[in-house]
Amino acid sequence: MKKNILNYLIAFFIIISLNFFVPRLMPGGPIEAIYGSEVLLNISPETKEAIISSFGLDKPLFGQYFQYLVSILKGDFGYSFYQNSPVLKVILNHLPWTLGLMGSALFFSTSFGILLGMESGWKRGSKIDKFLLNFMIFSASFPSFFIAILFLILFGIILGLLPIQGARSIYSNLGGMGSIVDIIKHALLPMASLIFVFTPSTYIITRNSMISNLAEPYILLAKAKGLKETKIKYYHAGKNSIIPVMTQTGIRFATRLITGALFIEIVFSYPGMGSLIYNSIQLRDYPVLQGSLLVITILVLVVNIILDFFYKKVDPRINYAY
Amino acid sequence: MLKVENLVTRYGEKRILNKMSFKLDKGETISVIGESGTGKSTLGFAVLGMIGEVSENSKVEGKIEIDGFDINKLDKEDLRKLRWKKVSIVMQNIDDALNPTITVYKQIEEVLDKQENRNKKIIDILKKIDFPLNRKDAYPHQLSMGERQKILIAMAFISNPEVVVLDEPTSSLDTETKNKIIAIIKKLSENKAVILLTHDISMAKKLSNRTLVLYGGTTVEYAETKKLFKNPRHPYSRGLIRSYPDSSRTKDLQGIRGRAEFVKTGCPFYKRCTQAIDICSIKKPKLLKRNGSFIACHRGGIIPLIKMEKISKNFGKLQILNSINLTLFEGETVTILGKSGAGKTTLAKILMGLVEKDSGNIYLENKEVKRFDAEYYKKVQMVFQDTRSSLSHRMKILDIVMEPLVVQDIGTRQQRTGKAKKVLSEVQLPSSRSFLNEYPHHLSGGEIQRIVIARALMLEPKLLIADEPTSALDASVQAKILKLLNNIQENRGLAILFITHDLDLAKKVSDRIVKLENGIIS
Ligand SMILES: Nc1ncnc2c1ncn2[C@@H]1O[C@H](COP(=O)(O)OP(=O)(O)OP(=O)(O)O)[C@@H](O)[C@H]1O
Ligand code: SF4
Ligand SMILES: [Mg+2]
Repeated sequence: MKKNILNYLIAFFIIISLNFFVPRLMPGGPIEAIYGSEVLLNISPETKEAIISSFGLDKPLFGQYFQYLVSILKGDFGYSFYQNSPVLKVILNHLPWTLGLMGSALFFSTSFGILLGMESGWKRGSKIDKFLLNFMIFSASFPSFFIAILFLILFGIILGLLPIQGARSIYSNLGGMGSIVDIIKHALLPMASLIFVFTPSTYIITRNSMISNLAEPYILLAKAKGLKETKIKYYHAGKNSIIPVMTQTGIRFATRLITGALFIEIVFSYPGMGSLIYNSIQLRDYPVLQGSLLVITILVLVVNIILDFFYKKVDPRINYAY
Repeated sequence: MLKVENLVTRYGEKRILNKMSFKLDKGETISVIGESGTGKSTLGFAVLGMIGEVSENSKVEGKIEIDGFDINKLDKEDLRKLRWKKVSIVMQNIDDALNPTITVYKQIEEVLDKQENRNKKIIDILKKIDFPLNRKDAYPHQLSMGERQKILIAMAFISNPEVVVLDEPTSSLDTETKNKIIAIIKKLSENKAVILLTHDISMAKKLSNRTLVLYGGTTVEYAETKKLFKNPRHPYSRGLIRSYPDSSRTKDLQGIRGRAEFVKTGCPFYKRCTQAIDICSIKKPKLLKRNGSFIACHRGGIIPLIKMEKISKNFGKLQILNSINLTLFEGETVTILGKSGAGKTTLAKILMGLVEKDSGNIYLENKEVKRFDAEYYKKVQMVFQDTRSSLSHRMKILDIVMEPLVVQDIGTRQQRTGKAKKVLSEVQLPSSRSFLNEYPHHLSGGEIQRIVIARALMLEPKLLIADEPTSALDASVQAKILKLLNNIQENRGLAILFITHDLDLAKKVSDRIVKLENGIIS
């Protein structure tokens, strides 16, 4: 475990270092790389001075690097001239929406995927298994934004059941419960799309690993022991079938964050990190972009650390693998 | 307590167990032995009503009765409740018979449902099987094979079932651990009915009162364990025992010729049996009771190839043989041990019809021998003591080897040559044209001995009398010749009457040793 955390720390260090060095190695110098040429043309010399000294660009490279590390640790990610606000603040305005959306979508899609996958694997070859399998393969074949648009048109526009834009109603003045319901309503369509997109892979991994676990002698022994079906299904076979789901979730988290956050948030104009990144790209708001990438990286690492922890709880063999 | 009647199991089209029947009472242990793939584990799963779980494409017929319940007639839920309460199993595959992500303690615990004193029970049995208690919360991969094996055994006995199936409970263990576990099992299985599925003959000997020999899913012999191992009656049982290393036997290991094959009709063993007759490939022999044990063989088991009854011989006043009784079974080596002049060669010569006996009878394959005719010599051949002088120096090797066929007027010259080449290669001599055309005086003692053996084998005899066949050879050549005879015996079921005065040699080559002294065999 210690060794693992060290690995993560090293990974983290490499990423923030890249974040520091890459702009400095780009043509046009760091300021242009960080702020874009348009900004440079429009700011006053004093501001430029301020920027230069705030980055320590007048100091030697090592000093700059040190200053950069210190400011990151302090939570100072720079300043966005477009938003006229510190980068960290901008990000913190958007991050909770993404966390909420992704978190709940991951929770539900993983739960559905695991439950359905176990059921399917247990009853391999049955009607329900065939139906589920075909359905999942079918739905996995659509790109995420397509699903999002489909949901938006169907439930939002044609049926008019749910709001199709934003994270809450802007002009209404709902208090307490009302605003919570409002937020949930807004989140429902993007969340449903995400669940729809995420579930198949979890389902398929669980089903496959369930099927291979069911062929293991220890399952035969569990049956010979006269254990109840539910115990064999969930405790003996099911538990072990989650293990690959956990590793896969960690591996896929980064891509999911991007497909989830970027595409789906954009389709629904959901004010999370995806929309923020999208807008920053369009505006070339590089400080925000850089900060966002850093935050996302940290998020991916943290999720992996947490999964690692649970993974070891479930699979005692792992400690021996190192 | 346990009754198996006409049990038939199929995986797909393949019939694995074929009308198996046996009964088992409290306190009894039955060993089921047989080669890999013969259906031992299948029997184990059948007894727990698990064949359907092993393969969906399976079928079970017949009756398995445990404590009055017919396993094959119970519905799923009743069967589930009966498992482990009345019948439990130690599965063969200890590598992954335990769930890797659950502690071994919990895996034992879960068979006890919610019993109140379960912790005490578990600790008790773990102590009994000598399992280190501080390791009880380990995961399977943290334990050694022996420890895992102990856990599986503890698990099988803890619920105090009436029937326990042990499927290779000590495979992949070192001898010391194995012996410990055998002792533990013995203690635990008092007042239980135990089915031991194994190909470990020494364990079968130690643990069981009765043994059932399975070949291709068919019971070929079923007898008291002691009796069966001391005196196996079925050719397959003997082959199985012979191929298993056993410190109480000195003869070199021998296998069973050919390999296990699926046979549709006839005796399942007929392709490998060295005493098969025509009917064996057509009709399946029934399992019949003979002398208190059951055997399925058209010939009633290994046949007595030659039987000497009250053979006496005097040379003038000198009594050489005094009412000798001796029987040689098919595929068996019997050594006659005796001092020089004890009459060993005389007995051999009587068997060859070269010396006339004064009284007594000889039976070949249960028929009295009246005349020593061509038919007799087809089945009985001899290799003499003084080999070099028994070969004519004016004959080429080919002619020497072919001679018996010429004398018996069998085959064309071409066929005889072909046969000679085959037999020569069987005794590991070259069969090139130049070698065939050589004269024997060029050859070494070992080569000459091989030629003599080849000549004796030309008629495919069933009995070979070998009178000090290696006395003139140095030890390394002797070893090769004896190994050769051993192999030929394995492949042809040849019975060998070996005559020597060398006790160590006798031990190495023979199934039985008899002593000839003062005209009497003991
Ligand atoms: N699930 C299955 N489906 C089809 N055939 C099977 C299945 N399990 C076993 N068999 C076949 O049944 C036969 C008997 O197998 P079984 O495991 O009972 O042999 P065994 O006597 O226990 O052998 P071993 O000494 O190797 O354990 C073999 O030919 C095997 O290939
Ligand atoms: S003699 Fe025939 S019946 Fe007997 S074991 Fe040999 S092949 Fe089978
Ligand atoms: Mg087996």
